[in-house]
Parts: sequence; C-alpha cells; structure tokens
Amino acid sequence: MTAALFRKVLVANRGEIACRVMRTLERMGIASVAIHHHVERTARHVRMAGEAVEITGNTPVAAHLDIEQIVAAARATGADAIHPGYGFLSENARFAAAVAEAGITFVGPDAATIALMGDKISARNFAEANGVAVAPSVMPTDDLDAFAREAAAIGFPLLIKAAAGGGGKGMSVVRSTGELREAARIASSEAERYFGDGRVYAETYVERPRHIEVQVLGDGAGGAIHLFERECSVQRRFQKIVEEAPASSLDLALRERICASAVRLASAARYKNAGTVEYILGADGRFFFLEMNTRLQVEHPVTEMITGIDLVRAQIEIAAGKGLPLEQSQVRAEGHAFECRICAEDPGRDFMPETGVVQYLDVPDERWLRFESALDRGQRVTTDFDSMLAKLVVYGSDRQQAADRSVSALKSLTLLGVTTNIDYLARVLDHGSFRAGDLHTGFVREHAAALEPTPLHADRRAQVLAAAAFGFHEFRELVFGTPEPHAAIGKWRN
Amino acid sequence: MGFRLHLDGELHEVTVARRHPTLILTVDGKELEVAAPPGPGDGHGTMEIGGLEIAFARAAVGDRQIVRLDGRTFDVALVDPYSGGGAAGGAQDALKAPMPGAVVSVHRRPGETVLRGEPLITIESMKLQTALPAPRDGVVARIYRTEGETFEKDEVIATLEPQTEAA
Amino acid sequence: MRKLQSMVSTASAEFRAYDAHNRSLIAEFRQRQDAARHARPQRDLDRLARQGKMRPRERIEKLLDPGTPFLELSSLAANMAYGGESPSASSIVGIGIVSGREVLIRADDPTVKGGAWYPLTAKKIVRALDIAMENRLPVIHLCDSAGGLLQLQSEVFPDKYMAGRIFRNQSILSKMGVRQLALVFGHCTAGGAYIPGLSDYSVIVRGTGAVFLGGPPLVKAATGEEVTVEELGGADMHTSISGTCDYPAASEEEAIHIGREIVAQWDRPRKWDCQREAPEDPAYDPQEIYGIIPDDIKKQFDMREIIARIVDGSRFHEYQPSYGTTLVCGFANIWGYKVGVLANNGVLFNDSSLKGGHFIELCNQNNTPLVFLQNITGYMIGREYERRGITKDGAKMIMAQSCSRVPKFTVMCNGSFGAGNYGMCGRAFDGRFLFTWPNHQIGVMGGDQAANTLAEVKVNQMKRNGGGVDEVEVKRLWEETRAAYQEQLSAYYSTSQLWDDGIVDPVDTRNALGIAISASLNAPLGEPGYGVFRF
Repeated sequence: MTAALFRKVLVANRGEIACRVMRTLERMGIASVAIHHHVERTARHVRMAGEAVEITGNTPVAAHLDIEQIVAAARATGADAIHPGYGFLSENARFAAAVAEAGITFVGPDAATIALMGDKISARNFAEANGVAVAPSVMPTDDLDAFAREAAAIGFPLLIKAAAGGGGKGMSVVRSTGELREAARIASSEAERYFGDGRVYAETYVERPRHIEVQVLGDGAGGAIHLFERECSVQRRFQKIVEEAPASSLDLALRERICASAVRLASAARYKNAGTVEYILGADGRFFFLEMNTRLQVEHPVTEMITGIDLVRAQIEIAAGKGLPLEQSQVRAEGHAFECRICAEDPGRDFMPETGVVQYLDVPDERWLRFESALDRGQRVTTDFDSMLAKLVVYGSDRQQAADRSVSALKSLTLLGVTTNIDYLARVLDHGSFRAGDLHTGFVREHAAALEPTPLHADRRAQVLAAAAFGFHEFRELVFGTPEPHAAIGKWRN
Repeated sequence: MGFRLHLDGELHEVTVARRHPTLILTVDGKELEVAAPPGPGDGHGTMEIGGLEIAFARAAVGDRQIVRLDGRTFDVALVDPYSGGGAAGGAQDALKAPMPGAVVSVHRRPGETVLRGEPLITIESMKLQTALPAPRDGVVARIYRTEGETFEKDEVIATLEPQTEAA
Repeated sequence: MRKLQSMVSTASAEFRAYDAHNRSLIAEFRQRQDAARHARPQRDLDRLARQGKMRPRERIEKLLDPGTPFLELSSLAANMAYGGESPSASSIVGIGIVSGREVLIRADDPTVKGGAWYPLTAKKIVRALDIAMENRLPVIHLCDSAGGLLQLQSEVFPDKYMAGRIFRNQSILSKMGVRQLALVFGHCTAGGAYIPGLSDYSVIVRGTGAVFLGGPPLVKAATGEEVTVEELGGADMHTSISGTCDYPAASEEEAIHIGREIVAQWDRPRKWDCQREAPEDPAYDPQEIYGIIPDDIKKQFDMREIIARIVDGSRFHEYQPSYGTTLVCGFANIWGYKVGVLANNGVLFNDSSLKGGHFIELCNQNNTPLVFLQNITGYMIGREYERRGITKDGAKMIMAQSCSRVPKFTVMCNGSFGAGNYGMCGRAFDGRFLFTWPNHQIGVMGGDQAANTLAEVKVNQMKRNGGGVDEVEVKRLWEETRAAYQEQLSAYYSTSQLWDDGIVDPVDTRNALGIAISASLNAPLGEPGYGVFRF
C-alpha cells in the first residue's frame, strides 16, 4: 500500500453516510474523526471513528450546521481534510471556503463551483451556455399579453406557475393556445391572492417525467468522466425512495447523449469531485437539466455496484490531487442495482414520519447486498434528524434478478419498533408497472391503490395473531398459568 | 382462556384451550392446533400451528406486539379486558409534580421529541432527586419551571404538544 | 383400565323417548335458571344503571380470567321460597379462576331488594364459606348489600347457622391462612360491614361503595347526627382516614382490576398429590345420558352407562364385578384425577353394603377421592335381610364413608330414598360438593309409598274407630299426601333449600366434578381412622 493521501479526515456528517465514508477511509489507512451532538454520543459513527468531537447547538441539526465548530474540531484533532457527506454542509459554499481558509482540504469542489451550482438561476444559465438542454421557459411577468405570446412560442403542453409561489397554488397545465390566456389570468389572480404577487411564468411541461441523473467525476482541471446514469423516478413527497442503475429501458443513443451532456457540464465548470447532474426526461426522449449536486449522492452505491468503483475513494484521491482514478474508456457497467431507502414513516398515513425505538434488527447477509446504515438495536428514532434509517442496496446480473433479490431481501429484513416503509418498498418492487420499467415521478401517486397492502388471508392472520398473542405477558400468564383442569375446560358456564 | 386483539383496525377473538399435548387456539371461531407455541421475548421465533412450522420475528413496543411474518409487518394490540375502555386522552399531555420541590435540571427543551418514560425534568424534594418521565411519546410544548425554581405538589411543570389524530 | 362397552342403542325407540323426556326437563331447568339469573324488574335495572353499577354477573365475568370456566353453585337456591322473589337466594356463588388462582367468588345481588339478605341468602353464604374452609379456597366477596332483610330478621339473625356464622366463618378462614378479598361496589351495612372488615384485602369504589355499621338514617335516629354516606363510610374516608378499606377505586372496572392484581400476588397453594393422568374426553358422548335416564323413576337403568359418559376415555376398572352387584364400585379418572366411583344399580343388600364399605376403605388407603352416583331406593328391608344383619352391614358402610379422609363428591342422578341416602354420602355426610340432576327425587320414601303408608294408617284408624272405610276420604288423603310429597321430592325443592350445591345438567357433570375435585385438593387429607365397626 502506498502512503496515505491524508493523515486524518474529519467526517462532517452522521448516520449511514458517515459510516460509509469511514469504511473507505479505514481501507485507505486514513484515520477518521467523527462529530456528534450530545444526543448521538453513542451512535455508530462515533464508535467507528478513531476519535470523536462533540458539537453543540440548540438542536442536533443546528450543531451539524455550525461551520465554526466543525472547522475548529478539524483543527483541534489535526485533520487534514474534511469529508462533508451529503446534506448538512456538503453544498455550503461558505463552509467550503472556511475549510480551505483553515488550510484543510475540502473533499469537494471549491466554494465558487458550489455557489455556481447552488443557485438555480446561475446553474441554469451556465448549463444553457454550455449546450446543456434546459426546459424552455418564459420569465416572470405581469404583462399577460406578452406572456401569452412568448409562452405560445415555446409549444405545448406548458406549466404555468406563480413566480412567487409554491405548493401548487396558481399552477396549471395548458395544452393549447386557446386555453392559455384564461389559464394565465386565473393563475395570476390566484398568485395575487395567495402571494400578493401576480407575476406568473411558464415552462415546458414534461408529462410522466422520469428522473435521470448522471454520476460524474471531475479532476478540477477540465477533465471529467461519467459513471453512467441512475434513475430515481420513484418518489414520494418529492423525495426519492427507490433508485437504480442503470436506468430502466433507456435506449443506448439517448443514454450516450445524456451522459455526454453531463460530462460537458462538469468539464466546462472545471468541476473537481464526484458530482451528479440531474435531468428530467420526457416520454418523447427530450431531457432537460434540473440541477447539479456537487457532492456524494445518497444513491451513489447503485453506481458503485454496477461499475465496481468506490466513489468515496475516488473523491479522496481527487481531493488529494491525484486526478481521475480512471479514463472514460475504462469505465464499464455490468448488471443492475437497486437502492431502497428505508425510512421511519408510515406509508398508510401519507408517509408521515414515525418515531420509536429499534427493538429488534435483523439484516439479511448476502454477497449481493449492501445494507448501509448506522442503526443499532435499542436506538431511538426521533424527528431530530432525517427519517431515512438505512439503504438496502442490491445487485443482480439483470434488472429482473436485482428486483427479485431486492424483494426477497426486503421481506427478510426485520426492523421492529419503528414503523417503516420496508413492506411498502417490497410492494413497489413487486409491482407490474415497476417491473415493466414504466416509471415516472408520479408513480407512487398513480399506483397508490395498488400499492396498498393486500388483505390478509385468514390463515395468515391467525398465524400473525398467534405470534403476537404469545408475546403478551398477560396471554402467556393465562395460557401457562391457568391451573388444570380449568385451562382444558375453557370458558364453560353451568 | 382468551383475549381480544386489535389488528389492522379490526378486533379478533383469540382463545386457547389446553388439550394434551397441544394447545387449541381459536381465532375468530376457527380452531387451530398449536403443537409448539411461540416462546416469550423479542426476536426471531418459530411455532408449529395448524400443522405448519412458521417462522416470525416479534418485538414488544409499549403495549403492542410488532410481528414480522412472511415478509410483512403487523402491529397487534391487546385489548385490556379489564379496562373500562375510556382512554385518558388529554390527561397525558401534562407532567405534574408528584410532590413540592425544586427543579434540578431540565432534560428536554420545547420542540424536542421525547419518548415515553424518558426523563424530562429532574426535581429535588426532601433531599431526594427524582427524574420525572414523559407520560407518553411526544414533543415538548412548554417547560414551566427552570433550574432552581420551586413548585407545589400537583403543579403542572411541563406539557407535551397535544396529540393529533392521524392526519 | 378397560373401556366400558355401552349396551345402549341410540336408535331405539326407548332411547329416543327418554331423550325427548330428559331434554324437556333440561329445557325447563335452563328456563328457570335463566329467569333466576336475568329476569328482574326494569325499575331495579334502571336504578343500577343510574348508579353506574354493573350487574353482579357482569362483575364476575370481568373478574374471571378470560376464557376460563366458572362453576356456579346453587343457581336455583330459594327458587321455591319467598314467592320466588329472591332468585338464586339473592347471592351468586361459584368457583373460578382469577389471575391464575382457583378462588371462590361470592357476590351480593343488588338487583333484588338492594341486595338484602334473606334467610336462605345467609344459608347460601354460610355454605359458600364452609366450602372455602373445607377446600381452602380463597374467597373474593363482591359486596353490594343493604344487609339482613328486616322483615325476616328472626330467620336471618339469631341462630348458629344464620348470618353471624358468615363472620365466624370469615374469621376461621383467615385463621386457617385462606385469603379473602372484598371488593366493595355498594353498601356494606351493619353486619355486612364486617365482610370487608374481616377480609385480608379490600377495595372500595368511590361514589358508590360505602361501609358502615349504621347508615345515615340510623345515625340520625340514634344520635341526631346528620352525616352523608361519603363522610360516614365512603371510599376516601375508609382508605385515607379509618383504614377499614385498603384501595380506593375510581370505578367498578378499576376495582376489579385492582382486585385481580391483588390476587396475582397470592401464593399458589400446593395441592396434595392425587394420582393424575392426562385428561381425555369420554369415548361415549355425554349427551347420550339424556337417552339413558328413564322417563319414570321406577324404571331401572345400568349406572355403568352413566359412568361411561362421565369418566376419561370411558375407562373403568371395576372392583368385585361379580359380588354385591347392586353397587357398582371401581376406579376411573375424571379430568385426569383418579377417583373411586360408587354407583347404585339397585337396592343395597348385605353384600353390596359390605362391598361398598370395603371399597371406601381401599380408596382411603390409596388416597383416592370418592365419587358417589346416587340412584338408591334404600337398603333392603324384610325379615330375611334383618336376620342377615342388613342394619349392621349398612352401618359399616356408613361408618366407612363418614370417617373417610379423602374428599367425597356426590351426584344425585335419579333417586335418593331412605337410608341409602346416608350410605351413599348424602348431604349430612360432609361431602365436599353435592350436585343434583333435574330429574332427581329425594325423600325418606317415594311419593307413592308415603301416600300408601299414610292411607294404610288412615284405613286402620277408621277400622279401629269402628266405622266403615270412607274410600273417598282415603283417596283424597292419598292424593293430597302424594302431591305434597311430589313437590318436596323434586330437585327444585331440594336445591331451593340448599340441600345440594346446585342442580347441574347431566352433561355438565364431568366439568362440575373436575372443578370440584381440583378445588378439594387444596385441603390436606384428613387424619386416617374409623370408629367401631359392628361385625
């Protein structure tokens, strides 16, 4: 083994991703530092790390967002690099700048790139300028005539939105010129009413859109490669729950074009680090740039599964100035991988977050499976942090095998004490349309009824009730504590 | 011998009769022979029921049993046959002082989550420190007494956010 | 043990006729029982509901472990007394399982005259506590009674076996180390106050429960003091000031819940080791008993057919099968418990009496409880039998039976007449439990015999007085005597007077005996020994 690229890396994150990063650090012979709030002082990432620093804050999340404390922790422990994971400060330009200022390597792009991609308008403009397709749109206006003219020029269908709005208010889909003016008028007045700002804008409406994203690696000097795409169309509450690589039923030419587009963007930005370029893909094969994530993605393991590349290692090598780990021609994808996000939530109650204590945890052990988590038995699950508890990543030689294996793994995965979406995910991966690759971001809503649990057969229900009944102390007392012959006689009245 | 169990919004009658050497379990009127009953405690278990060997996992959560069987998870509650059935309702929102004393420390702030039984506030009374546990899972609404402040018996010293019904 | 071979043809006309007859008797029994349990004036039920009280049987159902049996005793006590206004003698008694412990439950019935005690109520409670003492059964009192019925105080209050005996028995029970728990749902007034007072544990319901020697009206009359029920003897007063009661409860449900928790703390007494095997259902259907008992008490039937429908696997080891054949003796198991069975297959002769006495001794030697199945017209009478010493042979059987150290159980299956009742462990012989079938008749002699005997005496009297025999008068006397006898001979009269521990449906006999035997094993075996046998 060659000399370590860094002596010590502080992982500015928690949960499964902190553990994931530390695993690679350990393989690379690099010491790790964990940070944690008081409430997670015994968490697995703290136990995994060579050393740990407690950070404080009004809430645990606030602590993890405290740039000064984290940089100070890196300094104090002598860390020479900081890996931000995802979420928290991973795409915070100020943090990247502060880390750099402290003379510590930030495992990620520089502050300027983060800022460029972090702003929707500048990112869009940058993409457009570099030949990356963006959804045609008409800018906010309150001149309805001009608006209607320009909008009609884009073509239909169109989505009209309130410039100031959100939450579906003042939003409508328009399919012809005839409807346009009236729709714009209504949208504008609704926008005025709800947001006190009557300006509306319009953009191309992609029907049954798919979420496709491309994993890229950039060396910071204009060199960039892609590690193929991922599909993350299955979402609930605008968050991904099932991801896969490669995308299902994507024709080769289209795949080439999307990946090339992502590499072009990374290269133009002189992007340094692993990154993800997200697109929206229409049924007609048109795709538009959504945004670029300048960090490791939650669903990065599916790419690792099919390419065999350790993305965290690549990040660290790039950050250490070693350049790209391989050339584009060396990148090969084989097989298929799914990632299911195991969340503490109740699919029966519109995916509302759930809390509780992990009373029992049993994870299937298979060579084709990765269970990414920081879960421990007895762990409290609260709403202090994100509801994602773990990721189940499954590899198969083709999509069907990977899906079959995912369903079987989900069924044998046992996490009791907190309501989760495990059973729901199994139903998603078993669903006919999912198997057929007929995906779009409205999948969960479209198949809501079909994704409900099937009614339980009476025999099964009896088994469930028996298994439960004998768990109750009162029931066992009754069954095993009732004297004879009374127990055998049962409920008898003379 | 029998109890009523709550599963998926329905009540089920489960009774047991001992018939040497097996148990006869009756679920909603249907008899099943249990040759090997499930054991106690959390974790994986097996049972022989209706001539089939069935594997399952189970964990007790509060007064419910969570059962995982055939790749599905079920939440089963025991209906206490001796309770009047009247739920306490809002009574569990408030944490009352069991005796007069002073607050030693406050463990949770408003807005923070707390699980039933976790200490919310530690009080001192008659030179004895007592940690007052949260009466149920929830989010702390208000803390009425901070460190060093005194209170009387039965004074409300903290409240939890009211529980909303399933949204 | 060999399985009994039944000779009964269930397809025969006789079987079907008997079956129809007995089922109609059972229907009548169930109808009377149902009325005693549930028929109450709406006014009384409304009052109970207004007070937020449960009916006593609801309380019992909630108290019992779910899905466990309850053997109710004397459900038709007082059914032929007081014009039927005291159903079940205003008191419910039975044996059941609470928190896994075998207990005797005794509940006042506030739906009848505020739960006031009639004379037979006192008798029933005294008997219940006797059962508790004899079988060392913990007692749970569900108290809700206005006290002794003032109109009948002379029959409730003064004598040895009247109400005072209840409190004497409670004290002796406690001395014996048998636990008692009182759940006070309503008023415990005057003597009734001593029920919680003499119990080891007591729970009292706030608002409705009250314990005092004299209620507010009595206090006002005696001392002029005006006081509310709550102040005088309410839950909070007694549990926080007087210490008369231990636990306050916010509701009846809570009182029951607390009561169950209290019982859950009690130790489980070790029973003596009666020989036991895994229980097994009878091979023959107990329902067939209906087709075996004849429709006329004068018709004979083979008691082995009954045994085959009560005991485990219908297996029976018969002792001395060829000797004294009018008394069937042998070993069998009931709900797994080894028992010695004595069953009448006719009148008792010298040999059957000696056989019975000997078999009782064998069971005592072997620690085997005794089950008597009575269908007895008496010991054989006449010069021949007196010369053979039928009296002294009968006396031997009575001596052996009376001095038995093992628990005894009696089922009155069809008839119990004359001294046969004594030899076969009638009520006077301290059997642990005695059950009666609805078809059963009991008396010193049958109705016909009594009428004949009295008519004979009358005719002789008329002849002695020189007059002619007034046939009309004799016939009137005969019919009057027979009718009066018939009523008093009936199982309903018997059970009304608490000469038994209740009428049971024949098909319930096996369960009733199983629970009774189980209860009996709580008490240690008596000292061995007999008096002087006249040889």
